[in-house]
Amino acid sequence: MSTMAVTQAEADPRRFLRALASQEALLAIAVIFLAVAVGLYNPRFLATRNLSDVLLGNAYIAVAAVGMSMVIVSGNIDISVGSLIGVLATLSGTLAVNGVPIIVAWLAPLVAGILVMALQGIIIAYLRIPAIVVTLGMLSILKGGLISVTGGKWITDLPDGFHLADTELFGTVPMPVFLMIVATILAAIWMRYSAPGRAIYAVGGNAEAARLCGISQPRTVVMVFALHGLFAGIAALLYATQLRVIQSTVPPNLELTIITAAVVGGVSILGGVGTVIGSTLAAILIAEIASALVFIDVSPYWIRAVQGVLILVTVIADILRRRRMAGA
Amino acid sequence: MRTRIVLALLSATLLAGAANAADKRWDGADDLPVNPLACAAGEASAAPAAKPYDGGQPTGAPDKAGKPISLVDVPKLIGIGYFNATSKGMQDAAKELGNVTVKTDGPTEAKIDEQIKFIDNYITSGVDGVLFAANDPVAIAPVLKKALSKGIHVVGYDANSTPNAREWFVNQAEFNGIAKAMIDSMAKEAGEDKSFAIVTSTFTTPNQARWIAEMWAYAQKCHPKLTWLETVEAQEDNNLSFNQATTLINKHGDKLAGLFGMTSVATPASAEAVTKAKLCGKVAVVGLATPNAMKPYVNTDCVKSVVLWNPVDLGYAATYVMRAVVDGKLKPGATSVEAGKLGKLSVVNGSEILLGSPFIFSKQNIKDFDF
Amino acid sequence: MSEIPLPQAARRVAPWWLTRHETMLAAILLVALIVLGALNNRFLTLDNLLNQGRLTTEVGLIALPMTFIIITGGIDLSVGSIVGLCAILLGYSWKNFGFPLPLAIAFSLLVGAAAGFLNGLVITRVKVPPLIMTIATLALYRGLAEGISQARSVRGYPEWFYFIGQENLLGVPAQLWLLLIAIVIAGIVLDRTTFGRTLYAIGNNETAARFSGLPVDRAKLIIYTLSGLMAALSAVVLVSRVTTTRSDMGIGYELDVIATVVLGGTSIFGGVGTIWGTVVGLAMIQLLKDGLALTGVKGDATIVVIGTVLILSTLVASSLQRRRDGV
Repeated sequence: MSTMAVTQAEADPRRFLRALASQEALLAIAVIFLAVAVGLYNPRFLATRNLSDVLLGNAYIAVAAVGMSMVIVSGNIDISVGSLIGVLATLSGTLAVNGVPIIVAWLAPLVAGILVMALQGIIIAYLRIPAIVVTLGMLSILKGGLISVTGGKWITDLPDGFHLADTELFGTVPMPVFLMIVATILAAIWMRYSAPGRAIYAVGGNAEAARLCGISQPRTVVMVFALHGLFAGIAALLYATQLRVIQSTVPPNLELTIITAAVVGGVSILGGVGTVIGSTLAAILIAEIASALVFIDVSPYWIRAVQGVLILVTVIADILRRRRMAGA
Repeated sequence: MRTRIVLALLSATLLAGAANAADKRWDGADDLPVNPLACAAGEASAAPAAKPYDGGQPTGAPDKAGKPISLVDVPKLIGIGYFNATSKGMQDAAKELGNVTVKTDGPTEAKIDEQIKFIDNYITSGVDGVLFAANDPVAIAPVLKKALSKGIHVVGYDANSTPNAREWFVNQAEFNGIAKAMIDSMAKEAGEDKSFAIVTSTFTTPNQARWIAEMWAYAQKCHPKLTWLETVEAQEDNNLSFNQATTLINKHGDKLAGLFGMTSVATPASAEAVTKAKLCGKVAVVGLATPNAMKPYVNTDCVKSVVLWNPVDLGYAATYVMRAVVDGKLKPGATSVEAGKLGKLSVVNGSEILLGSPFIFSKQNIKDFDF
Repeated sequence: MSEIPLPQAARRVAPWWLTRHETMLAAILLVALIVLGALNNRFLTLDNLLNQGRLTTEVGLIALPMTFIIITGGIDLSVGSIVGLCAILLGYSWKNFGFPLPLAIAFSLLVGAAAGFLNGLVITRVKVPPLIMTIATLALYRGLAEGISQARSVRGYPEWFYFIGQENLLGVPAQLWLLLIAIVIAGIVLDRTTFGRTLYAIGNNETAARFSGLPVDRAKLIIYTLSGLMAALSAVVLVSRVTTTRSDMGIGYELDVIATVVLGGTSIFGGVGTIWGTVVGLAMIQLLKDGLALTGVKGDATIVVIGTVLILSTLVASSLQRRRDGV
């Protein structure tokens, strides 16, 4: 991916803010509109139970997409995250069944996630190996390693207190949804208003210019990957605590789903543009579409094709919108 | 942008409408011939019309009767509990026989292309026999025939290939036997005139497609008032299966009286979805699964019975069959084979060896198993 | 008057061709071959090596246009799905449309080229970044394969069709001839033609290339179409080899292909890369997997080794490259 010069649009802050608000608003409108449209066809779609199930079941993807967005904004990519989540979930479950205090079993995937991702960040930033190579290699290492160590043996007999999804805050908001919202908001604020957060945009937009401003690109990249590891850890925790068993395998295609959520959310692969709010909304939209397609009786053989069309339509519309704003 | 979404949704609905033609097989079924069993309850052993042997034979296989042999087992994929269990059965048999070594190796994902490469490598490295569970019955045939042509013995288990690509196939249970057990259980637990949905892994997995086809045929014949609603795919991921099952519950509401789980991932996930929705007892969950994964649900009476066979026995039998083949004790035209502690197993369908009837795990016996 | 310091010349560690990425990689490959050959006497036989060539053709065919694409700084993640789609259409058009098999093959190649063309069109006209466009078409083309096939396989092809995938021509597997010819053509195009030089120019600085009057959009359109076409050819070879069609064919190919190209020294940032490097990368991955398997290493451990090799080789080769460039 060649580093493009910062375009006119991104450099102009007013236009930048307008572009920012637009994709998120569009996604929010799409989420609501889809819910209403499907609700007309089958009112059960709008039942609180269903909407909350959609959010609950996919919160982990949204959380992982927050970290992935940061990585992509910084001009890199990570395709090892799916394997990492599988490994971290297994780690968490294994600790829990072996009598380790629940709180430790919950925090372990976070710590391990940060360490593994930071390691990748160091290799990428300081040893200057392209992100796609490192994460591609790491994907295989993690997947093979997981099978070698666990043999895919399911973890059952998890202690009762382990299941985070069962906890509800203030009596109504399930923990996973709460974590998803909190993670998104904190990350969004941090990226917009803090110096290290803005550094990510700078490094992704034009690494050379950032360097001349005194932003250390290697340090920023390592930081971004470490944070990405934190979010991957949280996602793994949500993934592990959702059901009564843990599969000890790598969830299929998870990295692709997460990258799609980030990309549909408006994160530009050229780096330097995009927000985590967009990626969370996109993750919600994608989950909603998956559920909607079942509700409106789309033939199951065609579901993936429809999803592909919708993704294509969304990304084309997003690019067209950006070009119109930039006056290109 | 919005218009485009609407248009896409509309066209999707139209596609859906076109796809829901009446009186065709359920989604997820294949289009091969079906053979439903009789409706009467109890042990339905299909009277096998004695078919002539239709397996393949190795050319120039060295005579190793009574001598030590080394085998390789290439299952659909490694790293899942089911094939860990078959592998264990093989190791048990190898230990008992004393002159057999078996190594289990395979792809980390259920891809036929990868599986073929594994088998090809082992042909080159010169094993005496190949045990396999095929990801695709036709695609695996060329490499198995290559093995046969190099004098290597080939015996399949769990998932068959085309008959002339292997010498024997150890069948865990007949497809129509499993279909009967599943449908009868559902009719009993949910009700004769109720509606159900199916959760499967992928539509392209041959065994699942066969079971669904046989289930369709049997239901048409013996439980015509049992209504199929839809089939959903959920890969082999627990969380995805759970989400799909939950979607089905939310979509159909009271109309849904039962869920079929077609894989050892789909069934516990469906049971979990029913539990979370607090519908235990109102939505029956019937499916194929390993006992360990189902213990929590069987013990809370959310799931009444789990259909399977004993995969450890399956691997055990496959190894004994291979040994008998190498020793010349199992020749084309035989009607039975000695399989160690499993006793005599019959030959059906020309070149298949039947393990037995499907095994039903229930609250009474599930604690005795650990896989 | 004090001396004006002159810039330091890059320190020469060794002659330039010795420290090129491709040569380093070939050296690593040679070492690996010798070690694995010593560990297992069936590894370095002609029979085995030709067989490995047969098995690696499908990925190899796609790796050639992927080299072109990555040199321009782009990427194509939809190749695996195009393989699946073309495999399905090969069977579907033969069985359901009643096309004679040669026409079905041509149809399948056409669809592949069209799929690649669509990628290229949207990338050049709408300016959707390649990564994003091909992630979307990865889902779309796979979905089309699933929908059209309705999860059914098509089998029972005439015997002559299996020649491509399973038989030998003059002692060498038939599909390997295809691959070798493709490698030679691709190598000549990249190294010796203006088109090839245009690709490098696009990868180094696309804006400059455009302003120099190079047909940037046309070149991109061509390489993405080519990528789809080669994916379709790969599908034909695959169907011939396994005698059936499945809608899940080709899943994961994109990662195998990218690993091959990147291992071979093509930089993901664009502007650097050779066909020769890709060939070495291809040989490396395939022979490593095979050698390890013959030595008794199991599947899960093998992919750990491959992943490690990928990272380490790139590390070694790129640090030597930097030493050579005096960076």
